[in-house]
This record gives sequence, C-alpha cells and structure tokens, in this order.
Amino acid sequence: MKGPIISGAIILAGVFIFLKFLLPLFTAPLPASLIYLYLALALSGIMIFGTMSAPSLEALMGPIFRFLSGQGQSGMGQVARVAVLVMFPLLVGWQTYTRLAPSDLPPAENRTIHPAPPGEFVGLSNPYPKTPENIMMGKGLYAAYCSPCHGANFDGKGPAAPGFNPPPANFSDPGTIAQLQEAYLFWRIKKGGVGLPVEGMPWKSAMPRWEVELPEEFIWKIIMGEYDGAHQSPRTWEEEE
Amino acid sequence: MLNGQRILRTISIIGLFGVLGFSPGFASEPPPPGETGSVSVRMYQLEGSLPSDDPNSSQWDSVPGSEFKLAPQVHWPPRIQDVTVNSVKVKGVHNGQELAILVEYEDPTEDAADAAALEFMVGDKPAHFAHGQEMLQVEGGPVNIWFWKKENGKAVDMSAKGFKTLQAQPKQDVQAKGAWQNGIWKVVFSRSLKTDDTQDVQIEPGEWRSVAFAFWDGAIVDGLVKEKGGQKAVSSWWYIRAEPSRDNSIFGWVILGLALAAAFELVIVRKLRKGQSV
Ligand code: HEC
Repeated sequence: MKGPIISGAIILAGVFIFLKFLLPLFTAPLPASLIYLYLALALSGIMIFGTMSAPSLEALMGPIFRFLSGQGQSGMGQVARVAVLVMFPLLVGWQTYTRLAPSDLPPAENRTIHPAPPGEFVGLSNPYPKTPENIMMGKGLYAAYCSPCHGANFDGKGPAAPGFNPPPANFSDPGTIAQLQEAYLFWRIKKGGVGLPVEGMPWKSAMPRWEVELPEEFIWKIIMGEYDGAHQSPRTWEEEE
Repeated sequence: MLNGQRILRTISIIGLFGVLGFSPGFASEPPPPGETGSVSVRMYQLEGSLPSDDPNSSQWDSVPGSEFKLAPQVHWPPRIQDVTVNSVKVKGVHNGQELAILVEYEDPTEDAADAAALEFMVGDKPAHFAHGQEMLQVEGGPVNIWFWKKENGKAVDMSAKGFKTLQAQPKQDVQAKGAWQNGIWKVVFSRSLKTDDTQDVQIEPGEWRSVAFAFWDGAIVDGLVKEKGGQKAVSSWWYIRAEPSRDNSIFGWVILGLALAAAFELVIVRKLRKGQSV
C-alpha cells in the first residue's frame, strides 16, 4: 500500500542529495532556486507516473487522501493530520511574508575576478631572464611595494589587507597567479584596480596602478619574484587551447 | 473508489500552490558571511528627534551597530604603513527626514588634528573609493565626503572626482559633533536624508548606497602630526541603507494567503469525505 509513496519520497531525497551535496564536489554549487525547480520536475514526474493507471493511482494517492480526510483514524493519526492541516496555511503565510518583506541584504556582487585583458597586453612575454639576481631584485621590490597588502608570505594577509573588499589576492592559492600568464600579471600590476573593465568592479579594488610609480623593468622582475616566492609557475602559451 | 479526474485536478492545484507559494522563499539565499566583519550599515528608523548632537546619548545604546576593519592607506602615495585606528563601530538612525551616523573608534589621545570622514558615492555612476580617482575603462562619478576635525569642531561637506580635486562645497549641509572619553572617539554626523544639492549623496529609505570610512590620529610624534592628508586609516566601499518604513500591506497579504490556504484545505477535505463515504 505505502510502496509508491515511500519510493517517491526516496527518489526526491536522492535527487536533492545529488543536487545539493554530490554535484558541488565536481562543479560550482547550484542556486537553491534551480534545485527547487529540479525537485518540482521530479515530483511532477512521480505524480504523472503514479496517476497513469487506476490501480497505481489508488496506490499512490489513496493513503494520502485517507490521511487528509481523517476517516477511520484515531490517536496519533488524528494528531498528525491536524498538525499537517494547521502547518500548511502557516507555511503559505510564511512564504507570502518572506516573498514580500523587503530584503535586508545588500545587492549581490557578481565581480569577475579574472576579466579579459586589453588587447595590447595579450602575448607579451617577460623580457628579463630568470636569473637569481633578477628574482632577488623582484622579491626585494615585492617586499617594499606589495607585501603590505599581499603579505610577506604571498598569502594575501598583509597588515593592510583587512580594510579592503575585495581582499588582496592570495598568490599562494592555486586559483590566482598559477592560472594566469605573466602578460596578464603585467597588465594587472601596471594598470591596477582602476584598469579593470566594468565586470571587474574597478571602483572597489585597492590594487594600485603601479605604472605611475614603477618602471616596466621593475614590474617584470616583481612578477618573477612573485611566482618564485609563492612557489607557483605562470601558465604558458602552450597550455592555452 | 477514487475519482481519477477529480484527483488530477486536485494534484494540479496543489502543484500550482506549491510553485507560487514556496519557490520564492527557497530561492532567496543569504550571502556568505564576511570574514572580517560587517558588510553594511543599517540606519534604523526612529520616531521623533534623533540623537544628532549627542554622541553619548542613551538613545544610541539600543541601536545595533556594524563593525568594519580599517587599513593603513597604502593604495596611493603618500602612504603610511602603521595607523592608530584599526577598526570602527558604526551605528545609524533616521526619522524619515533626518539621519544621524555615529562612528566610534579607539584613539588613546585627544588631539587637535584628530579627524574622521565618511565618503559616499554620488549619483548613478560608480566612483572609485579613493576620492573617485579616474578609472581607465569605466566612466566614474564623484564622491561626497563628510569631514570632521576636532580643532574646528564641525563638519565640512566636500566633493571630489579624482585625486587632488577634493574641495569644500559651496553649499554646506552636514553637521558633526565629537566627544572623546577614555581613549574612545565618538563622532556623530547628521544631515537631512535629501538635499537640493546635486553634489550631495541623496539617501532614499530602502535604497542601498556605498560608504567608506577614514580616520586620522592627529597626535604629535617627534614634532610632526602623525597622520594627515593621504596618511590615514581607510576602508574601501561598504553598503549603507536607511531602513524603509514598514509596509503594513504585507500583513494583509499574509492573512489573505493564510485564509486562501485554509479555505483550500477545507474544500479538499470535504470533497474527499464525500467521495469516500460511499
Ligand atoms: C593597497 C593594497 C595593495 C597593494 C599595495 C598591492 N596590491 Fe595587488 N591587489 C590588491 C587587491 C585588493 C587585489 C584584488 C582586486 C583586484 O584584482 O584588483 C589585488 C590584485 C592583484 C593581482 C591580481 C591577481 C589575480 O588573481 O587576478 C596581482 C597580480 C597583484 N595584485 C599584484 C600586485 C603587486 C605585484 C603589487 C606590488 C607591486 C601589488 N599587487 C600591490 C591590493 C594591493
């Protein structure tokens, strides 16, 4: 009798667990609204399947309807039924409220962290050889100019970091400079936060526009020092598809 | 036996209700909590007069505040590597006409050159938090700065659009009052929510604005003022909003929703009873 209801519930739970917990292991988590949509689709599938023939209809809906109508029920069954009948309007009321109540949350921010660089920076390569002297010089310049924000350990935790939103990039995280080419860093360091396109929200970035203070030679050497110090290597042209 | 058609109809109604009633609730997701403090200031709505000229008013005690970390200004020369003020508590209130914003921060000494400032984006174009400095690919807007300094004891209403463009406005609309006690500065800034000056930020209850903070410790160290001009404690942009007045029509809709759902249940249960009691 209860077979189809229980298997329906198991399918729904399975779909939910898959979308909510398993899928994020492989890709970005789905927004709740999308998970809800998929669950609603799964539910309608179960309903359609369950109502295809009269016997399956009776098997799926019979217990539910007998529960709701309250016939032949006593004790715990009655209590559960009343609880469901009271909860449903309350839930609808609550949903109406959360839907209409003005949100207290600030606007969602969809800042693109690695927007496309301007054309003139594409394909540049570091004109300075990676000699120990050049790397040393780069690290010295990094300590003087970059470490207050990006940290002496290249981890984005410099003494000035806490005041800024977005926070200074953490170069030891494989998601930042290891994903990028030296030419990309050259652009970002030269033009700074104010050089970002609109999707990078340049008005929020504290990253300085270093071209007004540092010659290009310094910037190329800092890039070397930065990769070396963060134990990362730049993405190369061969890796591009 | 159950009547198939009626059941199908019931199911579709339940489905419709489900989608209408439930999806928006599940769809709204809270943002990830900030790692280093608040992300916005909420100006609570009060009735009557605001504690605008008294930073120590007991009216402030019941207002919940936000807290923001500050950084030494190392974004642009002249830089400073070490500042006195490392974080600030911010409270806000409004009464539909006026607003008051209280900033509270630690500074061990009271000095003539101590100063505090609030900065706002003005208008629709985004402005860079560093005085609306020029952006290369985006056309930016101006900022409005409310600057209070201990030695003048009042606020200056200022504008900037780019470095070296900071200027007092011809029309002054902001007041401020500071009080120092036991190593803590409390400064209240106040203004009307809206002004007729296009250089000013206009605060519309319910709408988000961008705000940033700056503080100067004016202590004299080795004969020089420790922090002045670009050498200050700063933040980048955060959000601020004057709470919108409560819209009571919402409760009408909630009651309507409740009533509809209850009526719907009643109809279903009655139909089921009829259908089943052969
Ligand atoms: C005032 C603080 C500050 C200083 C000083 C600073 N940066 Fe940054 N930097 C930031 C912030 C904040 C970001 C993240 C926002 C952005 O991408 O613009 C950033 C981002 C970057 C990025 C982009 C990383 C990515 O994954 O896209 C690079 C590269 C970088 N900084 C290099 C440097 C170098 C090199 C220096 C020193 C010459 C330096 N920064 C100095 C604040 C700073």
